[in-house]
Amino acid sequence: MPNEKDILTQLQKIPYPGSRHDIVTLGLVRTVTLQENNVTVHFRPSSATPDTLQRLSQKITATLSAVSGIGTVSIHTGRPSGPEAGPGPVTAPGKTPLPGVNKVIAVASGKGGVGKSTVAVNLAMAIHALGYRVGLLDADVYGPSVPLMMGTEAVPRAGHDKKIFPVEKYGISLISMGFFLDDESPVIWRGPVVMGIIRQFLRDVLWGELDYLIVDLPPGTGDASLTLAQEIPLSGGVVVSTPQDVALLDVNRGIAMFRQVHVPILGIVENMSYYLCPHCGEREEIFGHGGTAKTGLEVLGEIPLVEEVRTGGDTGKPIVLQHPEHPVSQAFRTLAARVIEASQMSIH
Amino acid sequence: MPIPALIVPLMDEKALRLLWDDDQISTYPFPYLRGWCPCAGCQGHDGERQFIKVENPQLATIKPVGNYALNLGWSDGHDTGIYSFEYLRTLSDQVAEFNATTTER
Ligand SMILES: Nc1ncnc2c1ncn2[C@@H]1O[C@H](COP(=O)(O)OP(=O)(O)OP(=O)(O)O)[C@@H](O)[C@H]1O
Ligand SMILES: [Mg+2]
Ligand SMILES: [Zn+2]
Repeated sequence: MPNEKDILTQLQKIPYPGSRHDIVTLGLVRTVTLQENNVTVHFRPSSATPDTLQRLSQKITATLSAVSGIGTVSIHTGRPSGPEAGPGPVTAPGKTPLPGVNKVIAVASGKGGVGKSTVAVNLAMAIHALGYRVGLLDADVYGPSVPLMMGTEAVPRAGHDKKIFPVEKYGISLISMGFFLDDESPVIWRGPVVMGIIRQFLRDVLWGELDYLIVDLPPGTGDASLTLAQEIPLSGGVVVSTPQDVALLDVNRGIAMFRQVHVPILGIVENMSYYLCPHCGEREEIFGHGGTAKTGLEVLGEIPLVEEVRTGGDTGKPIVLQHPEHPVSQAFRTLAARVIEASQMSIH
Repeated sequence: MPIPALIVPLMDEKALRLLWDDDQISTYPFPYLRGWCPCAGCQGHDGERQFIKVENPQLATIKPVGNYALNLGWSDGHDTGIYSFEYLRTLSDQVAEFNATTTER
């Protein structure tokens, strides 16, 4: 008949997900008790998510049930009372406090007008087209453009407890600053006010289950974007640039911003990379394409300058949806696949 | 810069254990962590690092700060220490030394 030590030895065979260290070494097992032949295991309070604890519990049950002489196995994840309780619920940094949201990816640029929102919108639509559940958070305080580009002025529905439901359009969930700010609000006081609103978004939007949440950050690398990059639990950042050298100087500021807040940069998107002639379909390198490679970042995609991209944005019908066969739509889907791949390498 | 993937307060052992995303484990005794609180109140501004000796400190609160630090609060009410991950890694490298000197005494 096994004793408590034998049981600990068994538990030492169970690694923590993503680690080579076992759950006993990590301190996740607080107590093991044996009464007659029935085992009780208590977890220590930690930042491990309920999901992870459930998976570990199944492993523990399977492992111990295979040992001869062990009867029932019961596992407790509750917080002990008294001094053993320790600090309240602990979340690991970078772990998404957005319940149900798996990966949060920010789209940023060193300066305005490079097509950041266009890329964010079409990237969201393309990831959705690949079969994922997608949300889009338009956090651009200065010029929210998602309502226009997605063709909706809807007002988010209120749920219980001051929560709000995102607006659904074309199969993706949307929240935009534009839904809350009226056009008259002066840009100067938007900043601080908006930070409060963004914090509220993060807590109060009922995103439901999402595989990807795409965030359109404000242009540039000022306080607004920096604070947002810090407040939003980002899994990764994508930098958008045009191929001109000036724009590339700005890119370095975008890169520095993500580094400052320790958000892994997935790569760069070169927008208006070349001109795709609508008549002959030929590629014209009007801006000296390929400059983004000089940043040393992985080039995730090259999106040509195409009239339909602009009209798609202006009429609220993203090109990926309106003309799925268009080469630009293909370019966006390739970009989407690369972003998905790059984001899966990061653990957050 | 590695960041913590798992945070386990060991209240019975009076230590904080971190599993980093590069799979390193660090274990910090509470008196050590409290002693090297990086806040301006504890450290002043003149650059010289000071150890603040506190009797039997208990970890009371842990809050992640963005993607770069943990804000730790203590049972003595002191909660202004923002421990950057970089700083925590440095502290981790020196914890063996601390453990050796405290067990000597
Ligand atoms: N690849 C493209 N081909 C053609 N037009 C484009 C392309 N990308 C963006 N545009 C157009 O360029 C303009 C600016 O794009 P967008 O609003 O996406 O930029 P932004 O970086 O988000 O700007 P802001 O800094 O104002 O937020 C829009 O009219 C958009 O339709
Ligand atoms: Mg924009
Ligand atoms: Zn201090």
